[in-house]
Formats: sequence, C-alpha cells, structure tokens
Amino acid sequence: MIWEVFRQEKTGGYHAHCGNVHAPDREMAKQFAAIQHGRRKPTNSLWVVPREEIGEIDTEDVAFGGTTDKSYRWATAYNTTGEDAVEVVESEDEQATAERQRGDD
Amino acid sequence: MDLDTVKTRAGPREFSPADDLPQEYREAATRMIEFHANSEIMGAYLERPFIRQAPSIDRKLAFSAKVQDEIGHGQLLYRAAESLGVKTREEMLEDLANGDGKFLNCFHYPLKSWVEIPMISFFVDGAAMRRQATLRRTSWEPYAHAMDKVCFEEGFHVKHGEDILKELMTGSRKEQEMTQEAFEEWWPRIIQFFGPTDDKSTHHDFAASVGLKQQSNDELRDAFLDQYIPKARKHGLEIPDEPRIRERDDGTYAVEEGDLDWDEFFTIAKNDYEPGLGQINGRKQAQDAVQWVRDTIEGDATTAGGHAPQAAD
Repeated sequence: MIWEVFRQEKTGGYHAHCGNVHAPDREMAKQFAAIQHGRRKPTNSLWVVPREEIGEIDTEDVAFGGTTDKSYRWATAYNTTGEDAVEVVESEDEQATAERQRGDD
Repeated sequence: MDLDTVKTRAGPREFSPADDLPQEYREAATRMIEFHANSEIMGAYLERPFIRQAPSIDRKLAFSAKVQDEIGHGQLLYRAAESLGVKTREEMLEDLANGDGKFLNCFHYPLKSWVEIPMISFFVDGAAMRRQATLRRTSWEPYAHAMDKVCFEEGFHVKHGEDILKELMTGSRKEQEMTQEAFEEWWPRIIQFFGPTDDKSTHHDFAASVGLKQQSNDELRDAFLDQYIPKARKHGLEIPDEPRIRERDDGTYAVEEGDLDWDEFFTIAKNDYEPGLGQINGRKQAQDAVQWVRDTIEGDATTAGGHAPQAAD
C-alpha cells in the first residue's frame, strides 16, 4: 500500500508533498515517513495519506485560472526614483515578504 | 471606564469592543473613522472614470485594481467604525449619500484629465499613507487592524502613482506642461490634506489625549513636505510660489499657512462647496443605478434562508 507524505517545515506553515512510502498500515507509514522524509530536512510535522484517498483533477478535466500576470498589483513592480517615504518602503517590504511566503516566485 | 481612565490607559491598540468605553470616546472615534471610510469611497468614485480613460492596458489593469482596493478599504473602515456601537454601516452610507457625511477636502474637487491622476495617486495617496502609518498605533484596536491591511496595499498605489508621474514628466513637452499646470492647481489642496493648523483644529486635542490620533496635523504636514518636495523636484516639477514654503536651516520645510485658502477649506468641510456637491450626488446616482445588483444579492440571501422573495415583496 502506498502512502503519500507531506512535510511541514515550521509551525503554521503548509504541509507540502515530499514523496511517498510503502507500508501495510498507518502506524508503519508514519514510522517509515519519519525515517525517510523527516531526517534530512527541517521538519516540524508529517502527514501520511493513503494514495487512493487523494482526489485529482487536472488540465484535461478543467480550464484552470491563475495564468494572468498580476505583477502590476505589487509595489515591487514599479521602479521609480528610489528614496521612497519610509512607510512606502515598509509596505513594499511587507508585500515582498508575503510574495515569498506564498511561493509565487 | 471613565474618561480619566481612558486618558491614563491610552496607548497603541489599547481598547477593543470588549471594553466599556465612555460615549465621548466612542463618538470621537466614530467621527474620525467614518470620515476616513467616507474618504476612501469618495476617492474611489473620483478615480473610477479614469479606468476607462487609462492610456494603456497596463495602466487600466493597475488602476482598476487600485480603485477596487480603495472600495475595500472603505468597507474595512466602516466595519471598524461600526464596532464602536454609535452608528451602523447603513446609517453612515446613507449620510454619505444625502450629503451629511464628511470626507477629505481633495475629493470634493472634480478630476478632469489623466494628467491630474498622479496628483491623487501619488501625492494625496502619499499624504494619506504618511498619516495611516501613524494610525497603526491608534488606541482603537479594530482601526489599527484595518490600517495594517490598508498600509500593506497602499504601497502599490503610491508607487504606481509615481510611475504615472514619471511617465508624464518624461513624455512630450505638452504632457510635461499639462502635468505642471495640474500640479499648480492641486498643490495647495494637497497641503491642506492634513487639515487646519494645530491651533485651529477643533478635534485634535481630545483625539490625541485618548490615543486615537498619534501625530498632530502640523507634524504630519511637515513630514510630508520633507519627503515629497524633493520627490516633486526630482520629477522636474516646479513648486509654485504660493503658498510660500520656507526651508529651515536643517533642510526641512514649512508652509506659510496664511497663503492657503482656508475659507474654501472650511466651506468644503461643511459640504457646502458646489463642485463637491456634484461629487456627492454623482456617487449617489451611481449607487442608485446599481441598486438592482444589491437587491438581487439580498434576494438570493433570503432564498437561502428558505423564503423565496416574490416580485411584489
């Protein structure tokens, strides 16, 4: 039986898919996951999910959105004269941080 | 809680809806936040026609995103004001439509041409951001929370506004002249954004003593001038001779307050300024024109609750 493994690096972060393990039951799957996926990279928590429990939908089935370039929405997209007001710089930094955390780049 | 306790405790994000606050505090905070919310809405309506008039698809996308943000800021702020229990959102929106709601002086003047856009999107938004950044430390917590979200988004508005200014000021001679003319017309109004001088401000002392307001009108205005006069010059704009601007020995600036038209400012503040009435009524007409959308949405909500609305309802 195949179990898909999802790793969370830090508290509050997303669990991201990182691979799978073969195991006869959930307990064994958790142990294998800890050994195979929790030793080398920073790990706060792991999920194991039976592969057959995962539903998938892809581009064959549906036209997804998210293809529009919306960089115009961010302060980081505009190069002006520099030396911006401190509150403008702060806003731009917050936006850049949020962008990194979303993993858009 | 009595007023003296409020004044003693007043600090950043000190009070929330869980606190039992005196009526004076609630009313002062409502007036301040309602004014701010109304200004977001009236600013968005002022700029809205320029989504259509934007000169390129990039500008159109960015500008419509910006106008959408401003309406959202208005909604956040009505929520923060509503949580004081003095006025409901409906009452505030109704007052805005019938001409009783007060809002920022700059949004009483009509916008005629694209060259005026940076006057709002760069200078007025820059001024607003300066003020809003200080309000993240206001004592009414829901207001401070709203400011976190608003300041997060506003950096894009200001930088996009500056980008438009840069484009115009590096464009044709005609564009540069028109932009300079627009700047001369708007400059005194932009300076008046921060309101009357400290000695003439009716509400400042109370608002500051209970921690609602973090900096005085004069402090904010001076900080704005120090930042934005060099910016304007950098883009090739000439600062008009009037109102006179003094450069202090330390390189900071101060405006000669007597040179500004305070009669016009206070007429505007009372919603008695003729072009401003056009802005208020224009928004009301736009609001009425899309009444059917709100009716449809509310109709759907009722259906979900199990009651199907009839045409006669």
